[in-house]
Amino acid sequence: MIEIILLVSSVLFIFALKLFGRPSTAHRANTFAMLAMALAVFSAFNFDFSKYDSAFYITIVVSGLLGVLISKRVQMTQMPELVGLFNGFGGGASGAIAYVELSGNSLPLSDVFVAIFSMVIGIFTFSGSLVAVMKLRGKLNNFNKKLADIFSVFLPTIIVFPAVLEMDDLLMEFIILVSLIAGLIRVAVIGGADMPVVIAFLNSLSGIAAMSAGFIVNSIILIVAGALVGASGIILTLLMCAAMNRTLLDVLKGGFGSTSINNEYEKDPISTSPEDVAIQLSYAESVVIVPGYGMAVAQAQAAVKELTNTLKDKNIEVKFAIHPVAGRMPGHMNVLLAEVDIDYEDMYILEDINSEFSSTDVVIVLGANDVVNPLARTDEDSPIYGMPILDVDLAKQVIVVKRSMSPGYAGIANPLFINDNAKMLFADAKEGLENIIKSFELV
Amino acid sequence: MEATFLLTLLITFLASFIGYELISKIPQTLHTPLMSGSNAISGITLIAAILIYPEIGESQLLKIIVLIAIAFATLNIVGGFSVTGRILEMFKKND
Repeated sequence: MIEIILLVSSVLFIFALKLFGRPSTAHRANTFAMLAMALAVFSAFNFDFSKYDSAFYITIVVSGLLGVLISKRVQMTQMPELVGLFNGFGGGASGAIAYVELSGNSLPLSDVFVAIFSMVIGIFTFSGSLVAVMKLRGKLNNFNKKLADIFSVFLPTIIVFPAVLEMDDLLMEFIILVSLIAGLIRVAVIGGADMPVVIAFLNSLSGIAAMSAGFIVNSIILIVAGALVGASGIILTLLMCAAMNRTLLDVLKGGFGSTSINNEYEKDPISTSPEDVAIQLSYAESVVIVPGYGMAVAQAQAAVKELTNTLKDKNIEVKFAIHPVAGRMPGHMNVLLAEVDIDYEDMYILEDINSEFSSTDVVIVLGANDVVNPLARTDEDSPIYGMPILDVDLAKQVIVVKRSMSPGYAGIANPLFINDNAKMLFADAKEGLENIIKSFELV
Repeated sequence: MEATFLLTLLITFLASFIGYELISKIPQTLHTPLMSGSNAISGITLIAAILIYPEIGESQLLKIIVLIAIAFATLNIVGGFSVTGRILEMFKKND
């Protein structure tokens, strides 16, 4: 009986991933996954609920309620932090279970290896995720890189240790401590804009930790589900890296953009006003909006929607060009736009929109920087050289809504800002858009 | 024992492969809900906690650690699915 429940559960998990492939069926995917999870958890009790005391049930109920409460209260712009936080919890749980299994002392040697692996990965995910959350909240600056490098050499060596040494409490505590610190420091050296990669990578690790836990307790469903999560995290990680033309190793090394080179502009940019932008837009036939992290920080989604409506009322075509690493997690911009009811049919990925820029009348760059920097195409010495960018500089006119001329994450100047077809609207994304909308009423 | 282990490895490989194939087809628009959804699934480690909880024995420390694991995993699962549902609801109303 239990086997049949688990079989159904595994199939449901896989089916849920299949349904996730299209926006129109994705909400059903979540229902399927929840059902699969409920069945899997139910099966673990093996129809014997009396083996568990009240402390057990109270813990489940209280933390479940807490989970619902947190998830209902959080804002869409805080989604990266929340996913990071939950992810850390998942990893921490796997790490804790591996620790308990190791303390049981009855494991065969092969399982000891798997358990240590699960513990190290789980604890690393836990502390790394917590640091990622703090980074996303802007509470933590970049950490000393040398110290981090010493620790990243440490981490692989401790996994080999138990082969030579007898496993004892002291060694275990040492491993836990090193894993904790390694997670802290490794993520601490990585800059905020690389968080899409980090979050995806930690997501994958939490799946791998769960999968290893499945090997220890001989649970196939745990292995299957863990492997699915591990695969999904790895895919997203590699996609994000490819979108920046960097390797995972390079991202994890950290310190990106800390060396500012070539930060000067040859001439002053052309500054514009909300009124002029409104006039410019009212003569356009096609407009592409390029959102970036600045839109999320300023909470400008509602203003974006309002401007989109204003433009569409004037029969102006509006599209959104979304770079894969825009924002702080994969798909971050899409979610913020969906929140204000912007049709996902209007959101375009880099490959689909790049050929259209040359025939676009006005591009509005909203709080994005490195992902529209033409140096990625032209300057071989640039740290972002070879990164696929949105070719907005090819459009007839470009309006950059940005608070100042400060460089983006890569720490380099963006020649787009002083291009002949570009104008700067110096403002916070939300305020800038609201002023443009107001000016429309006067045009 | 040997055969079971190999079978388990085979299942692991197949699951990773299916996961890779299916997830590669998911569009960029859905990457955030995919991430929070798969994140919720990683809380499935709760099963391991449920399996080992009755077998801990006398140690209060180990019991507390498993309870912490249960709390973490439950938070991960319930919170993760709940927030994924919220995100997907926003994509649904576009239809």
